[in-house]
Amino acid sequence: MPAPDRPLLTVEHLTMRFGGLVAVHDVSFTAAGRRITAIIGPNGAGKTTVFNCITGFYSPTVGRIVLHGGRGDFLLERMEGYLIAQKARVARTFQNIRLFPRMSVLENLLVAQHNALMRASGMSVLGLLGAAGFRHAEREAVDHARYWLDRTALADVADIDAGTLPYGAQRRLEIARAMCTRPALLCLDEPAAGLNHAESRDLNHLLRFIRDEHEIGVLLIEHDMSVVMEISDHVVVLDYGRKIAEGSPEAVRHSPDVIRAYLGEEEGEALPPEVTADLKGEGGAGAAHERGPAETQ
Amino acid sequence: MEYFLQQLINGVTLGAIYGLIAIGYTMVYGIIGMINFAHGEIFMIGAFISFIAFLLLGALGITFVPLALLLVLLLAMVFTSVYGWTVERLAYRPLRGSFRLAPLISAIGMSIFLQNYVQVLQGARVKPLQPVVTGGFQMFKGDGFAVSFSYLQIVIILVTVVLMASFSLLIGRTALGRAQRACEQDRVMTALLGIDVDRTISTTFVMGAALAAVAGLMFMLYYGVIDFYIGFLAGIKAFTAAVLGGIGSLPGAMLGGLLIGLIETFWSAYFSIEYKDVAAYSILVLVLIFRPTGLLGKPEIEKV
Amino acid sequence: MAAETADTPQHPPQDGIAAILKDAGIAALISLALALPLFGFRIVGFGSGRGLALEERWDWVVTAVLAVFAGRIALNLWLRRFRAVLAIGGRVGDGVGDKIGQAVAAAPRLGRILQAAKPAFRIAVAGALLAVALAWPAFPFVDRYLLDLGVIVLTYVMLGWGLNIVVGLAGLLDLGYVAFYAVGAYSYALLALHFDLGFWECLPLAGAFAAFFGIVLGFPVLRLRGDYLAIVTLGFGEIIRIILINWYPVTNGPNGISGIPRPSFFGLPFAADPPEGTVAFHQFFGLEYASTQRIAFLYYVILALALVTNLFTLRIRRLPVGRAWEALREDEIACRSLGINPRNTKLTAFAIGAMFAGFGGSFFATRQGFISPESFSFIESAIILAIVVLGGMGSQLGVVLAAVLLIGVTEFFRELEQFRMLAFGAGMVAIMVWRPRGLLAHRDPTIRLHARGEKA
Repeated sequence: MPAPDRPLLTVEHLTMRFGGLVAVHDVSFTAAGRRITAIIGPNGAGKTTVFNCITGFYSPTVGRIVLHGGRGDFLLERMEGYLIAQKARVARTFQNIRLFPRMSVLENLLVAQHNALMRASGMSVLGLLGAAGFRHAEREAVDHARYWLDRTALADVADIDAGTLPYGAQRRLEIARAMCTRPALLCLDEPAAGLNHAESRDLNHLLRFIRDEHEIGVLLIEHDMSVVMEISDHVVVLDYGRKIAEGSPEAVRHSPDVIRAYLGEEEGEALPPEVTADLKGEGGAGAAHERGPAETQ
Repeated sequence: MEYFLQQLINGVTLGAIYGLIAIGYTMVYGIIGMINFAHGEIFMIGAFISFIAFLLLGALGITFVPLALLLVLLLAMVFTSVYGWTVERLAYRPLRGSFRLAPLISAIGMSIFLQNYVQVLQGARVKPLQPVVTGGFQMFKGDGFAVSFSYLQIVIILVTVVLMASFSLLIGRTALGRAQRACEQDRVMTALLGIDVDRTISTTFVMGAALAAVAGLMFMLYYGVIDFYIGFLAGIKAFTAAVLGGIGSLPGAMLGGLLIGLIETFWSAYFSIEYKDVAAYSILVLVLIFRPTGLLGKPEIEKV
Repeated sequence: MAAETADTPQHPPQDGIAAILKDAGIAALISLALALPLFGFRIVGFGSGRGLALEERWDWVVTAVLAVFAGRIALNLWLRRFRAVLAIGGRVGDGVGDKIGQAVAAAPRLGRILQAAKPAFRIAVAGALLAVALAWPAFPFVDRYLLDLGVIVLTYVMLGWGLNIVVGLAGLLDLGYVAFYAVGAYSYALLALHFDLGFWECLPLAGAFAAFFGIVLGFPVLRLRGDYLAIVTLGFGEIIRIILINWYPVTNGPNGISGIPRPSFFGLPFAADPPEGTVAFHQFFGLEYASTQRIAFLYYVILALALVTNLFTLRIRRLPVGRAWEALREDEIACRSLGINPRNTKLTAFAIGAMFAGFGGSFFATRQGFISPESFSFIESAIILAIVVLGGMGSQLGVVLAAVLLIGVTEFFRELEQFRMLAFGAGMVAIMVWRPRGLLAHRDPTIRLHARGEKA
């Protein structure tokens, strides 16, 4: 387990181009273990693109992304997406929730433990034969799922289809599912989007709990400044694909660059057009949209 | 050399026919993102309607070939369009917004239905037609081998070029074309802006069917025989052409059609005629594996 | 569907008689345009030396148009009554397709009943079907024809269950499933003829060959999106068929392979006059020779194969790999974010599905005693896929119901050979429009936290 201030994730000179468009330009930052690091910035600042590079959905044009794990360092930019989750133990959620809607809540959490269960089932052969070892492993997996169901107040609905859950519960389930992979780094893409005040408060509790009790690093993209200011230990501010500030929430809040670029005229809690964009679920490619369709289409 | 040139001319002619069908696939895919599996059958129906129209005109005593051709062309386009419209209305529109495989399966069902529908109505036997357009040019008479460029080939290529040009203009310059392109981008938003999306989609099917009817007429004239089964293979090849050119792209469909026509002709001429369909399928597979966006298609960035 | 049709001023309520007539008139006009060329004229007179002629069939056109007109009025009237009963608003006059869809979807149907029913009821239905299947050859009314029909239906059930792994669970739309069926059939035929192997030795080999083909074909293409994958698999299916047609030295081309050994009952052949030195099945058991004995044996062989397929699927659904298949069907991107290797997971589904097709293919070969490329055309793939989709993707019971329905019902059209596939295609469309998710779209979780019925 890394010490609090040893970096867990190091991003160096990350640049991502889509055709002629530079979505992320030379961004470097670190995220520590047992800390919550927030990436903020106006819509189209390249936040989700950074996320997608870290979690292997895009391969960056330039740059190095290193995860300092318990079992050595992983160069994430060279790994295939699923291996980043499997080996480097980076888990993520999505801006527009991606559950397995026609599978039950519990099944969603068991799929998250796929690799461990797959080994226990002897690549299915032992499982087909009904070996005791596999049954035991499956019970453990259910217990693990149960633990996160209790933490996210979803135990009551464990057997219904994930797609039928209300929005807030789906967000929680996505976090529970990511945690079930036993990650070293948890990446959350706008976890508070669309949540009401009470749900947002519960989310803060949950994230603190994850940080303090499970001692893992959390990296999050967020628009809701109340969430960012309240729970993050470290803030990275992006604008037009560049990092314009980095530091404690307090320091960032007073940085003139940040105020100019993002917080705008006033305190600017949430910017209406951005909220609408979030609800439409525009992700990394959204970064491309904003800059002008002429360049991307 | 003469042999090569002859094959080139034959290939371009065949490619023109494939290109006309491919436009139907590509337009429909562009606008509602589905493979209109029954489109090959629409082409087949177009060929049958042309055939019947020819016989009818003959019976009515209209034997002046250019006039007859024009009339058949119009009749086939109109009546086949009704089929295209109806297919969309019955089999696809109710499934809009349904899960993604439903329209494809409905389309396969429609394809099977239409094939057997024509078989029941017109019989299973092959229908041969007397050559309508005869004659042609002889070019470079080489050692015992002449390159011929028949009037029919000229007609096919000319009609195709004219139609493709006018359709490109239609889509590029008119309000209808704008509505179609808007639907491709975002159907909900287009509807919110007051455009009748259903009608736009219907129009797309009608246009595709009209072009398929022309292709059906050309096919009938060129090969001189049709049966109820010609739609399947021609459909697959035209779809391959659409994918090769870049599905959703109109110039891509024309280019793809041309390439498939040339490849098939040259493959038959120089390698083996038995495996000419394998060549088309293999190209389909290879293109989809190595360049799923086709030659002129837009790259698709995966949205996460 | 009906809820969103609040009538706007531009669309006055169209349930007056005049509106219904107008609507029916439009439908009749369209049907006139459809019927005029293809109903109205028939191309006749081949080879008479005087070329072709047209035969006019105005009566057909008139009948078709009148039928549409009357049908449309009846449909609208029925809908109006129906709507009054349910007090739902619906804009009448909005197209035949969704009309039929709306109307039929609202009517109670078998699938709906089964779907709403408790799992205990579904288990009871499955048990009853199994009992009937086991006892089928013993029923007094089951003659040779019905026994053969049973074998055919079970073959499709087995293939449907095999394809269900690929399409229903893993969500990979495979339009070339028949290719693996063909590989299985030819593997058995060639192994049996050239290496003198028996059915039971060949069966696993044929399955392995088919699975191997599945891996080889699947490896490059499984990352393609749904409908592209469908077309590529269709292409593969056709390529294999064309190869079978043209590869004379091995496959004997379009003439096919005949004289494929029939299966024996653990070494006891089914024959009226067994060759010197062997004891036939009926002699061994002291029975009268009857040709149905062999068919009954084949029936139980395919029943066993089908049940093995089913058992396998039921079990593997509860294993991590089965859940990963379903998760991939639901959301591939989310799967990648959870560390699941999409390609390998899809490949296992593809290969296992292919293996079962291979088993089915060897059975087909031994049952027929003769195979040719003709048996492995695209239409077979379409039928198997239709069974899976119609049944409700992923539902094992649904596959059985769909196979019985599709094969059984089209068998009724047997006398009218050409109408059979016509009805089949129309049925496929109608079912998709009516229930896009199939007859039994219900899915039970593979594992539960709380026992059923228990309130957490």
